[in-house]
Amino acid sequence: MTIQAAEETPLLEMREITKRFPGVLANDKAFLSVMRGEIHALLGENGAGKSTLMQILYGAYRRDEGEIFINGKPVDFADTAAAIHHGIGMVHQEFMLVRPFSVVENIILGLRNGRSPLLGIDAAARVITELSNRHGLVVDPFALVENLPIGVQQRVEILKLLYREAKLLILDEPTAVLTPQEKAGLFAVLRSLAAAGRSIVIVTHKLHEIMEIADRVTVMRDGRSLACIRTTETSESELAKLMVGRHVELKANKEPIKRGLPILRIEALQALNDAGRLAIRGISLEVHAGEILGIAGIDGNGQSELAETILNLRRPIAGRVLLDGYEITDLSPSAHHARGLVYIPADRRGVGSVSDLPVRSNAILGTQRQRSWMYGLLLDQSKILTHASELVRRFGVRTAGVDFQAGKLSGGNLQKLILGREIMRDPRVIVVEQPTRGLDVGAVETVWAELLAERDKGKAILLISAELEEIMNLSDRIAVIYEGIIVGLVDAQGASVEQIGLMMAGVSEKAGDVFPN
Amino acid sequence: MFFRIERRLEPAESPMAIAIAMGVAILFALFLGGGLFMLEGTSPVEAYGSLLQEAFASVRGFGFTVVKAAPLSLIALGTIVAWRSGFGYLGFEGCFLIGATATAAFAMQCGEGGWFGVMHFGIFIPLCIAVSLTAGGAWAGGVGLLRTRFGGNEVLISLMTNYVAILLVQYLISGPMRAPGGLPQSERMPPETWLPFIMEGTRAHAGILIAIPAAVLVWVLLRKTAVGYEMIVNSMSPPAARYAGIRVDRIILVSACLAGGLGGLAGMVELLGVQHRLVDGMSGGVGFIGIVVALLARLNPLWVLPTAVLYGGLTVGADAMQRSTGVPSSITFILQSLIVLLVLSSDLLRRYRIRALGVSVSIKGST
Repeated sequence: MTIQAAEETPLLEMREITKRFPGVLANDKAFLSVMRGEIHALLGENGAGKSTLMQILYGAYRRDEGEIFINGKPVDFADTAAAIHHGIGMVHQEFMLVRPFSVVENIILGLRNGRSPLLGIDAAARVITELSNRHGLVVDPFALVENLPIGVQQRVEILKLLYREAKLLILDEPTAVLTPQEKAGLFAVLRSLAAAGRSIVIVTHKLHEIMEIADRVTVMRDGRSLACIRTTETSESELAKLMVGRHVELKANKEPIKRGLPILRIEALQALNDAGRLAIRGISLEVHAGEILGIAGIDGNGQSELAETILNLRRPIAGRVLLDGYEITDLSPSAHHARGLVYIPADRRGVGSVSDLPVRSNAILGTQRQRSWMYGLLLDQSKILTHASELVRRFGVRTAGVDFQAGKLSGGNLQKLILGREIMRDPRVIVVEQPTRGLDVGAVETVWAELLAERDKGKAILLISAELEEIMNLSDRIAVIYEGIIVGLVDAQGASVEQIGLMMAGVSEKAGDVFPN
Repeated sequence: MFFRIERRLEPAESPMAIAIAMGVAILFALFLGGGLFMLEGTSPVEAYGSLLQEAFASVRGFGFTVVKAAPLSLIALGTIVAWRSGFGYLGFEGCFLIGATATAAFAMQCGEGGWFGVMHFGIFIPLCIAVSLTAGGAWAGGVGLLRTRFGGNEVLISLMTNYVAILLVQYLISGPMRAPGGLPQSERMPPETWLPFIMEGTRAHAGILIAIPAAVLVWVLLRKTAVGYEMIVNSMSPPAARYAGIRVDRIILVSACLAGGLGGLAGMVELLGVQHRLVDGMSGGVGFIGIVVALLARLNPLWVLPTAVLYGGLTVGADAMQRSTGVPSSITFILQSLIVLLVLSSDLLRRYRIRALGVSVSIKGST
């Protein structure tokens, strides 16, 4: 306590936290100190140890070494219930809500109303209304969660913590699923909570958000806390350098567009999702040679279904897909490949690669029947080895070797492997979905550069991404998808984040009316 | 604390580690089985001595071991083809019986006075192989079709088809194919159709000479061909297989037919090598024990033959042990089950190490 003697005692102090997992040192003497009424950002790349540190704080993991103090008193949480009891609450990236329950039922879930056998819903609803009015968290306590948009569900999660009188709120990547407008709303709420004396930790890797909302930021790398800095005394580029360990330039350098003829044409396409509901409700698009057509949209608005339907991995119920004017709607996926249409799926580990097979085998996934791998009827391992080695070298896949299990590669290296594999097939059209989701800054740079290089070579690229920054940086034209239809198609030059953001929320480009649900 | 058990960061994967873990498991099973012998008042050393002596050290006994190993290996190979494609087939009893029945129907017409007459053995055997492969393949292919067309559960359906095959054979040998006489069995196959013996003074027949190339072919298929690659991708990740343009349904059908064909081949080998007639209960559970052999061989086709010989030897030796020491045969079954159980759980050993007083005692591995 001597260090802080002169100042106010921090609400939370974590010191020298070490946590080992098999083969990994997840936290290495990490520290974190959060003051009362502070918005504190925890910044770091994937695998830097942010999540582990938060799980330890929340009582989900036990630390191997180190100390945790709340209000200067040492604490030791055996489980999450103990953490909640000490006023720590967490909003996970995946919301923990019971969808068919109402807001108030979700909020009182797991809490006992004294010794009474009754739930006391009405009393709880009054408290919730009072809380939501005070902090601008507008929500109807009796609405069913499944009918609420994602942004409102997030408010419910925050209200859940406030109802339990959490002093310290941990928000894990809170803006990942929000539109720009919803994000602004969330930030207003967070400021109001901080002003009321609550402390907030937001876990993120988005630098501009940190500069916008946080008072101080703790940067983590390789399991260690590198620094705790006031945001007023730093800059985005300094933070990026700290986080990655070298200088990074997250601006794609785009050549002027040389748009060619239209190659891929989609006409009034309709398809169902796995639940049998109409997910693609009549989409028409045209992708030209030498351009990147970005499809912006919040996750779950039909993006995956669109990509799968183009490749005929999902059967369309209406509409056509044409390549160079020839209809390919009903051709098999391998026939699509043969005509130069490749797909880089969002699910890298489950779809784009086979985790249990080595890099070498994954290098021929999709081209396994290609004549050039064959020696008579057999696969020629030496040719495959040459191919895999070249793929690894050309796309900078960091692996212990071509016989290394693909599932053990990091996300970025696995993505480079998949992207490289598809690019080396010399396709004409690349459909790529969420290419940098969950990747480190360095890997993002590589993937962006490779996609732009393919565009400059005259490939037609359909880029589906929920990251607005990615869409704005790479696309030549931007189409916005909302509930299975394209609500707007604009030229990337001159498009503003606000305009795209409104369309992502279902507000149409021209009239400004909200699309019906 | 004098010792503690630690989880390894990664299981020890070297062949040495695997062999040691299996060895420890077998020894432990023998040790536990030894306790049962002592209850019976028999010396475990003597009992195990007679087991090993008969199964592997006497020419006659080893001949029996080889006889047991041939159908076991073929069924194990069928299991590997099915399971390595993501087709959880368990109907090898049925394939075995159907293969034997088809062979019997064909071979009966290949003697003196049969429809086809006596043919040169070099022509007869390939034809016989084709007949049993086709019959077993069609039998299992039906299950494959139910799965790919209608989304049926192949595990349940294939188990049920075993009973259909067993009852079908019972019907045939007490009805249309019944030989004159009291017993429900078919006519004896013409001696010209019997598989020749390959070891002087033993019952070892040429069936093993069919199993050896079959093992090599299955290995080549899975390791060296595009179809094998597609099978393995499909078993590991069906979504990735679809993404890679693999025609998943066709792969399942091909593997079902091939697996069933290998099961049918096992039936042919047993019929022409050992029984020489179609009799009730001739499979004797070999369709399930073959699956166990495949598991013990860790689904590696090249490990199937040695494993089948070991397992066959265990069966032969156990019979001999029963004769020489008089222990009830149930004990030998318990012993076999213990070995399977412990060998299959021996993977656990490779995941842990024991630390005693700062000294690490563990199976040497790559990590």
